[in-house]
Amino acid sequence: MVLWPFVVFFFVVLLVPAGMIVLSHVLGQRHSEHATGSPYEAGIVSEGSAEVRFSIKFYLIAMFFVVFDLEAVFIVSWAVAAREVGWAGYLEILFFTIILVATLAYLWRLGALDWGPKTRRKTR
Amino acid sequence: MNGTDLTAVLPLLILTVAAVVVMVAVCIRRSHLLAVWLTLAGLAGAFVSLWTVATVAPIQVTPLLVIDGYALFYMGLIIAATFVTVILAYGYMEKQQAYREELYVLILTAALGSAVMVASNHFVSFFLGLEVLSVALYAMNAYLCNRKLPLEAGIKYLVLAAVSAAFLLFGMALIYAQLGTLQFGQIASMLIGGVSYDKTLIYPGLALMITGIGFKLAVVPFHMWTPDVYEGAPAPVAAFVATVSKGGMVALLLRYFYETGAYRLHSVFLVFSIIAIASMIAGNLLALLQNNVKRILAYSSIAHLGYMLVAFLAGGDRAAEAVTFYLVAYFVTTLGTFGVVSVLSNGERDADSMDDYEGLFWRRPILAGVFTLMLLSLAGIPLTAGFVGKFFLIAAGTSASLYGLIFTLVVTSVVGLFYYLRIIVAIYKTPAEVVTTVPAALPALSRSGNLALAGLTVLLVWIGVYPGPMLDVIQHAVSTLRIF
Repeated sequence: MVLWPFVVFFFVVLLVPAGMIVLSHVLGQRHSEHATGSPYEAGIVSEGSAEVRFSIKFYLIAMFFVVFDLEAVFIVSWAVAAREVGWAGYLEILFFTIILVATLAYLWRLGALDWGPKTRRKTR
Repeated sequence: MNGTDLTAVLPLLILTVAAVVVMVAVCIRRSHLLAVWLTLAGLAGAFVSLWTVATVAPIQVTPLLVIDGYALFYMGLIIAATFVTVILAYGYMEKQQAYREELYVLILTAALGSAVMVASNHFVSFFLGLEVLSVALYAMNAYLCNRKLPLEAGIKYLVLAAVSAAFLLFGMALIYAQLGTLQFGQIASMLIGGVSYDKTLIYPGLALMITGIGFKLAVVPFHMWTPDVYEGAPAPVAAFVATVSKGGMVALLLRYFYETGAYRLHSVFLVFSIIAIASMIAGNLLALLQNNVKRILAYSSIAHLGYMLVAFLAGGDRAAEAVTFYLVAYFVTTLGTFGVVSVLSNGERDADSMDDYEGLFWRRPILAGVFTLMLLSLAGIPLTAGFVGKFFLIAAGTSASLYGLIFTLVVTSVVGLFYYLRIIVAIYKTPAEVVTTVPAALPALSRSGNLALAGLTVLLVWIGVYPGPMLDVIQHAVSTLRIF
């Protein structure tokens, strides 16, 4: 096994970002106005802390997106080879989709898809 | 996939369908009892189907799964252990203020993952089974999410299991890069088939895989998560982690290292010897320092996995039998001990402090007797399953002249006796308070939990006194393993 290209590659990987940082430090201009330290040197002055509590619903939406998006990937990858895999493949994807629908029904029933405030859900 | 193939994977299909059926049942009508009955029916169906499958076994289903006597035996063991866990979980969850029904969906999914693992002779099905098991376990550990400890356990398990899965995957990738195959059988023919090959990537690959496997088995030095997870997880879930999750991995360990012949490589032998010795010593010594019963059981399980590795290293048919028999005894005993803990637990906390067991005999004599018996079996006292199991381990080790390992096993077992006896002493200590007034205030124990414990106790003594029939079954099952 030839090892030296890896070693060279490793050091090049280290060198490139280090070089960028050092060069911009040496060559770059320096100035110090009273707004230099603030996140944006123009516009509205930021206020308050960034530690805001998000509603748990955002996480739910993100999770459902990831889950169902991934399922779509599986179904599409079946669709590409639908003719080749034949009826066995069809049955498998059917089973897969049935489980998916059952999961969706479960989530719906659990109230995970009700994104409005709680009071509105009760009146329905 | 034809009819015969579908018959062969019937237990897996039944478990899958059962999980979906329980989930749909939960969204139609939320009833704890209904969910438990459906789960138990699914498990019983899967168990019965093993006999149907036995008529077509051994058979290779797709390149991924091999359904032979060995896989069927371990599937039966996993399904039976899951059955007991569900019964224990029913009594335990009745006392909790939470959604209870989803736990059974997760338990069925985890059992499915473990069952896939024991039937896999391909890296893909191995990893698939492992992940199905692990992902369900993340949620199971943190199931009582309004308490602090289960959340801690869940997050620790999530992070560490994910990292170890990455190790495992990288190890598989390296071996694949070198040998160009993912199938155990083909790896064997390349590894010890006399073909000369480049070992540059094999050893790192095996080392990374051992890391991933060692994490699931919770052997030293990959054991750090065990006490925290056992302490935090709800008692029935801890029982599940200790039995089904580890059992599936032990089955795979045997199949992978025996069928590929990797256990014959000198360095692999050395690494596993160090792991075994470290597990036996660290597990038993650290258990001495604990005051929490669940943590003691966690460290004791580390030591027990170390014992199993001793026989594993011996190699051959006898060793596989010894490990399998010990695993059966370990399953019965561990389910029993965690069963006692979960029966005594209430809605606020698990009964895991030493104080919960102080003078237990004077309050609940029968339960105290069962617990004593389970602890004696863990310690390996005669007339219990643990003794017979340990006897086979030592016999297997002696036949391969692993005297150093056996010496460690014997010495650390004696050390281990001490902390089991500490619990037993606490159980039989006469309470300083008035004894007579206490029993009236005792809450009733769950009947289902008692039933499960009674069954386990009978099994424990039966295997301990008359191990013949169990041994025959195991011999028959292990004989289908192709050992290089």
